[in-house]
Amino acid sequence: MNVDRRTFIASTAATMLTGTTVTTWAQDRIVKIGMPMDFTRVYTFVTAEYAQGHRDYLTLINDRGGAGGYKILADITDHGNDIPRAIEAYERMKREGAVLIDPLSTPVARALVPRALEDKINMVTTLSGRSDAADGEAFPYVMPLSPNYWTQAGLLIDYFRQQDKDLRGKKIVLVHIDTPFGKEPIPIFQALAGKLGYSLQTFPYAPPGNDQAAIWPQVRRAQPDWIIFWGAGVGQTVALSEAVRNGLKMDRISSSVWLSESDMDVVGKDACKGVIKFEAAAGGRDPKVIQQILSEVVGKGKGAGQEAKVGTSYYNIGVMMAAIAAEGVRKAAEKAPNGPVTGPWLNAGIRSISDFTAEGMLPGITVTSQDHQGGGKGRIARWDGAKFAPQTDWFTANQDLVWSEIKKYSEEFKKSGK
Amino acid sequence: MLYRRAGIRHTSYRHERMLWPLPFDRYLVGTIAAFLIVAPFLIDRLYLVAYLLPWLIWSMAALGLNLLMGGAGQIHLGYGAVMAIGAYSSVHLVRAGVPFEIAMIAGGLASAMIGVIFGFAALRVKTLYLAMSTLAMQYIVDFVIAHVPAISGGTQATIQVPPVRFLGLRIEGDIATYYFALAVCTVVTLFMLNVHRTGFGRALAAVREKDYAAEVIGVSTFKYKLLAFWTSSFIGGVVGAVLVVCYLRSVSPDQFHIDLSVQIVAMVIVGGLGSVLGSFFGAALILFTPIVLNNLVASIAAGAGLSLSSDLRAHIPLMLYGALIVGFLVLEPLGLAKIYDNVRNYFLVWPFRYARK
Repeated sequence: MNVDRRTFIASTAATMLTGTTVTTWAQDRIVKIGMPMDFTRVYTFVTAEYAQGHRDYLTLINDRGGAGGYKILADITDHGNDIPRAIEAYERMKREGAVLIDPLSTPVARALVPRALEDKINMVTTLSGRSDAADGEAFPYVMPLSPNYWTQAGLLIDYFRQQDKDLRGKKIVLVHIDTPFGKEPIPIFQALAGKLGYSLQTFPYAPPGNDQAAIWPQVRRAQPDWIIFWGAGVGQTVALSEAVRNGLKMDRISSSVWLSESDMDVVGKDACKGVIKFEAAAGGRDPKVIQQILSEVVGKGKGAGQEAKVGTSYYNIGVMMAAIAAEGVRKAAEKAPNGPVTGPWLNAGIRSISDFTAEGMLPGITVTSQDHQGGGKGRIARWDGAKFAPQTDWFTANQDLVWSEIKKYSEEFKKSGK
Repeated sequence: MLYRRAGIRHTSYRHERMLWPLPFDRYLVGTIAAFLIVAPFLIDRLYLVAYLLPWLIWSMAALGLNLLMGGAGQIHLGYGAVMAIGAYSSVHLVRAGVPFEIAMIAGGLASAMIGVIFGFAALRVKTLYLAMSTLAMQYIVDFVIAHVPAISGGTQATIQVPPVRFLGLRIEGDIATYYFALAVCTVVTLFMLNVHRTGFGRALAAVREKDYAAEVIGVSTFKYKLLAFWTSSFIGGVVGAVLVVCYLRSVSPDQFHIDLSVQIVAMVIVGGLGSVLGSFFGAALILFTPIVLNNLVASIAAGAGLSLSSDLRAHIPLMLYGALIVGFLVLEPLGLAKIYDNVRNYFLVWPFRYARK
C-alpha cells in the first residue's frame, strides 16, 4: 500500500483519537495470544524467522475458520531482551486479554515465571526458559512444549551410542558458552559418562562467543571422538567456523537445536557438510503443513515475510509452536465450547493434547498435567550441503535421567519463594 | 508569573535554607507527591506496575550513581554489578531467615564494601581509565555470580524471592510493593536533595572540580573518593534489593549485566549530571521511550492498515529512540533537567523578560 503524508498524518491522528486499540474482529470468538519477543538485541534473526512461521500458520488456521471455532489473534512486539520492556508488554497484553504469552527468550521467561504462575496465564517457553518447567505439577502455567536442553543432550549422546555401538573409552568434548545456559546440560553429560563409560572434557568460551580462536586448537589437541558445541546466536556460527578452520571432522560435530540454514550461509554450505544437530520439528518444505502454507498463505500474498525463509529451521519451529497452540485451543473448545476464554480454559486444552503431529511435521506430542515437555521426542539431522537431512526417526532416550534432573530442580523451586 | 518571587522575605537562617523557597515549586512538589501517593487508586493497574514502579526504582538507581558521577565526578560503568551484589546478598539473607529490614541494609553494606574495593582504583586513575577499571568490576562480579552455584542458585541460575515483610507489612501484590518502593525512593531523594548542602557534599564537589586543589584546601581526596564510592554503592545495593523484591520477584545473573549499567549511566547523562530532578527525567526517558515509541508505531501501523514485517516494526522505534537521545543532547548537553530549568527561568520573570539580568 502506498502511504503519502496526508494518509499517514490522518491515520496517526485517528489512532491517537481512538486510543491504542489493536485491530479487533467483529466476532467474539477470539483467543488472544501475546508474543513479546526480542527482534533487536540478542536473538534477532532467530526471532524474525520464528515469528514469521508463527504468523503464517495462524493466518492459515484463521482463514480456514480458526481452531475449534476460535480465531487466534497474535500481538507481536519487540522487548529487546530487556526485562522492564518485557514486563510492560506482558502486563499490557494481560490487560488486553491475552491467555498465552510466548516471550522466546530465556532471561525474560525466567523473569516472567512468578507473574505467569500468579496470573494463571500460559507462558510458552519454546526451547528456552527453565528446563525444570517440564514438571507440570510445579509449573502449571509454564509450557516448554518442546524438548528441553537436558533431553537434547540425552538424545545426542544416544545417537553417538547408536553410531559407535559402544562409547566405552571414547572421548566426547563439549564446547559451551560460559553462562548458566551453556553449563545447563553438563550434569546430563556427566551422568551419562558414568553410565556409558566415555570421558567428557568441557571447554567454556566467554560470552557472547564472537572470539573462540583460543579454544578450538585445544579441542583439536584433545583428539575427541565426538564434539558437541552448545551456544546461541553468534556463538554458534563462530564455533562452527572455528571447527572448520581447525580441520575437525565435520561428521563428528554436533549441536543443540540452535543451528540453522542461516548459520550455514555464513560458514559456507559446503565447508560444514556433515554437521549434526538436534531437531524438534521437521525442517524444509516437505511437511504437509508447510506445503499448505505455501499454497494458501504465501501463494496468495498473505505471507508475513520473505518467501525464501519458508521452511528454514526456525521458521518451522515457529509453525510448530503455532500449531501446538492452535491444537490447545481446539482441545479447550472441545472441553468447554463456550469458553469463557481464560488462562485456565486454555491451560486445560493444552494439557490434554495427545499424540499431536501437525500432519507429520512433529513427533507425537503429548502434554499432560505432569509432563509439559510434550514427551521429549526429537531426531538427529545432518547437514548435507543444502539441507538438514534426518538421520533417525523420531525417538527419545535417557528420559529417566532427564526427569530425575527436572524433579531435583522443580522440588527446589516449589520449596523456594514460600 | 507562575514562579512568583515577590514577597518572599527570609527572617531566619532556617527559612533561607529551605529546599524550595518559591511557593510555586512547593506546590508543584506537593502536587506530584500527592499524585504519587494516591496513584494506586487513580490510575490503571498497568500504568502502576509497568510504568510507575520501575520508574521509581530506576530513578533511585540513577540517583545513587549520580552522587558518584555528578557529585564526586567519578565515572562508574559497573553500577549494575553493585546492584547485583545488593540484590543477591539480601535475597540470600532473607532465604536464610533474616528479616528483610536487616537484609536490605546488609545488602547495601555488602555492595558498599565491595564497591569501595573497586573504588580504590579511583585513587590512582581518572576518567576513561577509571571507566575501564569499573567495567572490570562489572565483569568480575558477573563471572563470580555465574560461577558460584551457591550464589546463582545452580543450573537454573534463578532464585525466587520469598515473600517478605517490612515492619510487619507484607510486601506483595501491586500496591504494597509500589508504596514500599515509593518510601525508599523518598528517603533516597531527600538524602540526595540535602547532600549538596552538607560538608560531605561540598567536599565531594571540591574533589569533582580538581582533586589536588581539594587536597590543597584540606579536603582529603583519599577519604572522600572512597566515601563517595561507599555511599553510592550502598544506595545501589539497597536499590538492588528493592528491585528484586518489588519488581522482578526472582533473581538471575542476566538481570544485572553490562546493559543495566550502561542504561543507568545513560539515565544520569541524559537527565543531567548532578541533578536530582534529572535522574527522574533520565530514568523516564531511557526506560519508557522504547516502549512508548514501540506502541505508537504499532498503533499507527494498525490504524493506517499497513502490514509491516515484524522485524521492521521492531526496528523503527529503535531508530526513533536513537534520534531522540541525540536530539535531546544536541538541544541541551546539560541534560533534561537543564531543559526544565530553562523553561523555569523563562517563567521566573515572564512577562518581564528585561528583568532577567
